Amino acid sequence: MNLNAFRYVIDESMTMISRRKAGNAISIVIMGLSLLILGVFLLVTINVQAVIDRASEEMRVYVYLKDGTPAAASRDIQMKLLALKGVEEVVFVSRDEALSTFRQTLGDNKDMLGALESNPLPDAYRLKIKTEYIRSEYMEKLAGDVGKWPGIEEVRYGEQWLARGERLVKGFYVTDLAIGLIIFFSVIFVIANTVRLTVLSRQKTIEVAKLVGATNAYIRIPFLVEGALQGAVAALLAVGLLAVIHLFAKRYLPGVLFMRGEAVSGFVLFCALLGALGSYGAMRRFLKV
Amino acid sequence: MEQDQRIIVGVYHLSKTFGRHFSLHDINLQVANGEFVFLVGPSGAGKSTLLRMVYMDDFPSSGQVVVGPYVSTRMKRSTIPELRRKVGIVFQDFRLLDDQTVFENVALALKVAGVGLGDIKHQVTDILMRVGLYHKRYDFPHELSGGEQQRVAIARAVANRPSVLLADEPTGNLDPVVTKSILELLFKINAGGTAVLMATHDLDLVKSFGQRIIYLEGGRVVKDKDMIFVGDLREKLADSRVSEKADRLEDHDITGEGGRRR
Repeated sequence: MNLNAFRYVIDESMTMISRRKAGNAISIVIMGLSLLILGVFLLVTINVQAVIDRASEEMRVYVYLKDGTPAAASRDIQMKLLALKGVEEVVFVSRDEALSTFRQTLGDNKDMLGALESNPLPDAYRLKIKTEYIRSEYMEKLAGDVGKWPGIEEVRYGEQWLARGERLVKGFYVTDLAIGLIIFFSVIFVIANTVRLTVLSRQKTIEVAKLVGATNAYIRIPFLVEGALQGAVAALLAVGLLAVIHLFAKRYLPGVLFMRGEAVSGFVLFCALLGALGSYGAMRRFLKV
Repeated sequence: MEQDQRIIVGVYHLSKTFGRHFSLHDINLQVANGEFVFLVGPSGAGKSTLLRMVYMDDFPSSGQVVVGPYVSTRMKRSTIPELRRKVGIVFQDFRLLDDQTVFENVALALKVAGVGLGDIKHQVTDILMRVGLYHKRYDFPHELSGGEQQRVAIARAVANRPSVLLADEPTGNLDPVVTKSILELLFKINAGGTAVLMATHDLDLVKSFGQRIIYLEGGRVVKDKDMIFVGDLREKLADSRVSEKADRLEDHDITGEGGRRR
C-alpha cells in the first residue's frame, strides 16, 4: 500500500466513524465507565502501595544484645550484621541512648521511669534494610538466623504489621487483576459489537471496493482505526472521570496520589490496542475478506 | 499453465459443483486480447458462475482459469486485488455506492489502486467525458436514470484500464433504446483495445452484430466460434454495422490507447 492509498484509508476511516456517531458514542460511554471501575481500583491500589512503601522505608530491625556482652564481641556482631545481604546500615544504640529516647517518647509521663533503679534496656543494633528486601520471608529468615547467634538476646521488627501490609497489597493486586480481566473482555466485546454493526452497515461498500481491487489492508485498516480510536477515547473519558473523583477524594484525604503521566499514556495506549484487537477479532468473524 | 500471449482469458476443463449438483461441466473457452465475445444462455445456464470464476470471486472445483499472468490454481488470496484491477466488472444491478457522487464512485477504483489525488481528478474527468456524464459528476446514483447509472458503473470498471471487461447482463434492467446505447459504449471500449466478455440471456439482442457468440446451456458450452484475434477483426467485420460504429467512435477512443490498434 502506497502513501496515497494510506491517505485514502485514513480519510475513509474518518468518514466511517463520523457516519456512525451515535453508535460509537454509546460504545465509548459503556467502555469508558467500565474502564473507570478499573481505574478506581488501580488508584486505590497505587495509594495503598504508596502508604505501605513509605512505612517500610521507615521500618527498622532491632537486634538486642545479651547483657554484659563484651565490646569486642559486640563489634564482631556488628561486622557480621553489616555483611548480611539486604542490610543497608547498622547503627549501635547504647542502653543509655535507648533510655533517653524512651524518656523523650514518654514526655509528661517520664516520671514513671523514676521508679527504676537501673536501666533495664539492653544495648542494641538498629538495622536499616534495603527497600527491595523488605518482605516477610526475608525478614523472618533474617530474624531467625540472627537470633541464633551467640550474644543475641532477641531480634524484633514489625513482623505482624509487615505481613498484614503485604496481604493487603496482594489482595488489591489480585482484585485489580480480576477486574482488569473482566473489563478486558467486556471492552473487546463492546468493540467487536460496534465493529460488527459497522461491517453490516458497510457491506455493499466493502463488496464494491473488493470488486475494483481493494486490498485486504485497504478494507481492514478503517475498522482497526475505528476500534483503536474508540478504545483511546474511552480510556481518556475514564481518566477524565477518574481525575474528577481524585479531586473530590483529595478534599478528604490530602496527599492522595493520581496516576503518573506515563501511566496515563500507557493506559490510553493499551486501551487503543485493546480496541484494535477487538476490531480485528470482529473482522475475522464478520468480514469475509 | 502457460498460454498464448494473445489470449487474455483462458478457461480449461473447468467444472464447478455445488454439493452434488454440477453447475458448470468441463468448460473450455478462450478470449483473445481485444476480442468482443458474447456469452449467451438461458437463466441458470451458469453464465454468472463462469464470470465469477474469471474474476476469481470463486474457484473451479476442477480445471483452471487463466487471466493474463494469473492462474486460478496458483492464485494467492493476496494477489486477487491485483487481478481485479486488470479485470473490469459490470453487473445488471450496477452496484454503485448510493452515498457517493458519480465522481467518487469512479474515483474509488483509482483510490484502491493508490493513484494520486491529482491524477484521479484528471483521469476521472477524462473517463466521465468519454461516457458523457461529466456534467452529472456531482449527482448521486439515485438522481440518475438506469442507463446513466450503468455508464457510471462502466466508467468505474475501465478506470484502471483493464485488459478485459466482464459484463454480466449489463442491459438486463434497461429498455431497448438504452440497451443499444450501452452496447455501443461497450463496443467503443472494445475498439480501444479492451477485450469484452459479455453475458446475456438475450440472443436476439446480440446475434445481429456478427461478434463471436459462445452458447452456454445447462453448464456446458454447446456452441462456440473460433477466436477472433484483433488483427482479423477488421476483415471479419469489414462490412458490418458494428465496425462502422467502431470507426466512428475511434476518435473518442475510451481508453486513449486507440493508437495501439492496427
